[in-house]
Amino acid sequence: MNKHLVIQLARFGDLVQTKRLVLSLLHGAANDEDAASNGVHPTPEVHLVVDVSLVELARLVYPGVTVHGVRAHGGVPQADVLAHNARAFAALAAERFDAVYNLNNSGLNTALAALFPPDVVRGYRTLNGQPLRDRWMRMAFRWVAHRRLSPVNLVDFWAALAPRPIAPARVNPIALRGGRGIGVVLAGRMSRRSLSPDALAACLRAVFEGLGGPRVTFFGTKAERPLLRKVLDHLPASVAGNYDDLVGRTGWTDLADALAGMDTLLTPDTGTMHLAAHLGVPVQGFFLSSAWCHETGPYGPGHRVWQATLDCLPCLEARPCPIGVQCLDAFRSREFLSFLSGRPGDRNPPGMLGMVSTLDDVGSTWLTVFGEDASAPRRVELRALVGEYLGLFTGEELADHDLARLLYHEADWMLPGPEGAAFAAFDPFADEPVHRG
Amino acid sequence: MPQPFDSALALESAAPASAMPRLRVLVVLPMYGGSLPIGRYCVDALRDLGHVVETFEAPSFLGAFTALKDLKVTADRLEYLENAFLQVVSQAVLAKVETFGPDLVLCLAQAPLNHQALKRLRRDNVATAMWFVEDHRVFTYWRAFAPFYDVFAVIQRDPLLEELASIGVRDALYLPMAALPSFHKPLELSPVDQRRYGADVAFLGAGYPNRRVAFRQLVHLDFKIWGTEWDGEALLARHVQQGGARVSAEDSVKIYNASRINLNLHSSIQARTLVTGGDFVNPRTFELACIGAFQLVDRRTLMGELFADDELATFDSMDGLTEAIAHYLAHPEERQAMAARARARVLAEHTYQHRMRSLLDFIAQRRPGWPAPRTADAGLPADLPEDMRRDLAGLLDRLGLPADAAFADVITALRQRSGQLTPLETSLLFLDEWRKQYL
Repeated sequence: MNKHLVIQLARFGDLVQTKRLVLSLLHGAANDEDAASNGVHPTPEVHLVVDVSLVELARLVYPGVTVHGVRAHGGVPQADVLAHNARAFAALAAERFDAVYNLNNSGLNTALAALFPPDVVRGYRTLNGQPLRDRWMRMAFRWVAHRRLSPVNLVDFWAALAPRPIAPARVNPIALRGGRGIGVVLAGRMSRRSLSPDALAACLRAVFEGLGGPRVTFFGTKAERPLLRKVLDHLPASVAGNYDDLVGRTGWTDLADALAGMDTLLTPDTGTMHLAAHLGVPVQGFFLSSAWCHETGPYGPGHRVWQATLDCLPCLEARPCPIGVQCLDAFRSREFLSFLSGRPGDRNPPGMLGMVSTLDDVGSTWLTVFGEDASAPRRVELRALVGEYLGLFTGEELADHDLARLLYHEADWMLPGPEGAAFAAFDPFADEPVHRG
Repeated sequence: MPQPFDSALALESAAPASAMPRLRVLVVLPMYGGSLPIGRYCVDALRDLGHVVETFEAPSFLGAFTALKDLKVTADRLEYLENAFLQVVSQAVLAKVETFGPDLVLCLAQAPLNHQALKRLRRDNVATAMWFVEDHRVFTYWRAFAPFYDVFAVIQRDPLLEELASIGVRDALYLPMAALPSFHKPLELSPVDQRRYGADVAFLGAGYPNRRVAFRQLVHLDFKIWGTEWDGEALLARHVQQGGARVSAEDSVKIYNASRINLNLHSSIQARTLVTGGDFVNPRTFELACIGAFQLVDRRTLMGELFADDELATFDSMDGLTEAIAHYLAHPEERQAMAARARARVLAEHTYQHRMRSLLDFIAQRRPGWPAPRTADAGLPADLPEDMRRDLAGLLDRLGLPADAAFADVITALRQRSGQLTPLETSLLFLDEWRKQYL
């Protein structure tokens, strides 16, 4: 297979998190002895479909990839949506892709899948008008029902659709301080995942002091300019008088240029965070509410995440919080701020886990450096099962045998077809003739 | 124990050859895939051993599943319906168990018996066994259901047996693949069939990556490739027969019989190592041997305990394969001698009858008191006229039952018959119903 299409119709962060899949399609075959021995010259062509608002970013992050913009998100007249997309889809149909990776569980993706022969589409597709999810997608829905156990980062989840994923270490550079000070992302698209102005200011101040008072750069959208003012109100003059304001003032290229070389980026779970990881900027991520670092933490080695751990986390952003977003309190604690400033005390910060990123065979993962993570043993076992399923290792010894039933459902093997018959493609006896006796 | 149907009937008994009493076995077939024919072979073998066998025909349910996939509803609704469908199929198996009253429910890999149903059978003290005729490293889902079976038979040894023990499977059994002599047998082919199916070298199987690459080295030979999934292999295209169509089981036996050298290269999903040296031995090895067809098979780590060196011609590299082809094409007498020894070994040790006997013996050894004694059922009236006794003997013969078959087994066999019954058959069914009401 030489001509691939990746359909990524979600947002900024999702686009960057598609990186391991895209790189695997571009470069995975380069080390592919199967392909080499097959006499197939590994010169893959990769195309990417994104919302038109993300075309520039996609070209920035994925040089060498042909980017197609479609009107997937709102805010434009319907006639434009129809006319633009009809042209874009005609261009896509003319390409005759060998494989299409349709990544998002949305009606838009399902509709677009109908443009391609069903047997070339991975992920979400339609067959005779019936939407279908690949087995791997189905598995994710199973573990997402137990989010504390989520065993795989989204980057690695999508990458697993590739015939030969590249090694996790080849995705992002090791994050290293670059000497250009502290970057601060004011908020994420989902407000409850973001720190309040006072908490963000306190965290920034602690890091600022810990790093010896470097320059500070604020990032955000135009809509977040009032938020900047509130944050500045909580900062001492030493910080408030020593900053660059890029809030609402950057295009994609400016944003990448400004991020590159930062010493660290303070951020909730945002697209900018993933862009920083892409550039090798060390992230200090504030994860609370619905954000869960095991799913969408910054990818690659060299990052830190402070993960709130109330029993109700990770929650659903769409549901109102009945306890007044108490998970935010962890980011205001004296112990945490001392830790951030580089002067950890005797007590660990309450209600929080300190995590550092690392890599294993499955992909990017997290080591707990402080705090008690009661779900870690089961998550690690589920990750081992996923690794076994992906063929990365075998013979895992597990303490919790019920986890296998969380990952595998009976339809996986009892029903035929690429969605149901999980393993038909690998059936060692599939070539045995059917004896109708 | 079952009551003899009529000990006065002077027919030779076909009771199981071992000490095993005649069992009632329900074989649950999978809906699809490579384990389906193996399930049917098990049915034949169990019947050969004299047991009373019912089959749960899961493939018959495929139509309903196909209809579900044509509903055009959301993906989550479809998945819900699939699960509900599997519940119904499992319930159907349970209903069959309640009606048939088996001593054993034997499931083949992918059999549609969910864990709730297996729990129910365990609660009801109905023995269950799974023959997992798959590679556990690829079909990793065995972890999710193995502990729900009483006995779990596999085609690999350690570490799988150790891993099964670690997840709570107490009674796991190594049970390698086999052949069915009544089906996998030497044939006298017509000249037309010999021409059609014959070749110096043949391979029957799917175009797995390792095979695709390996067979490129054989294109200079009179080489026929049979089976599916060979598309896109330009070098091999002229060797692929019937446009890569699926080959029937009957035709496969003809192909094996007609070919001078049958290649048997175990499949692999990667092509880096063409000859993988894996552990389990595939069914084709046993089938070819049973047919008396000559094969060149890649060496497997579990092969040594199944066949001697002079029973199978093996290779462990592509160089070894090409050298062996040249050698054996030039030495037909060696081919014939080797194939004859392999056939004798299979007939002596590696038939599905042997496997089923091993499985049943294992279950008996691990389950004290199994099979549970059956309530004695009344035999037929003793004072039947001579002509009716003769007719009954003929009926038992046609049903494949021994003269001392239990009345219940005769009724089961009659209920399996389709179409119109004879007056004698009908009268037996009638008697069964009459007894339910009045005895």
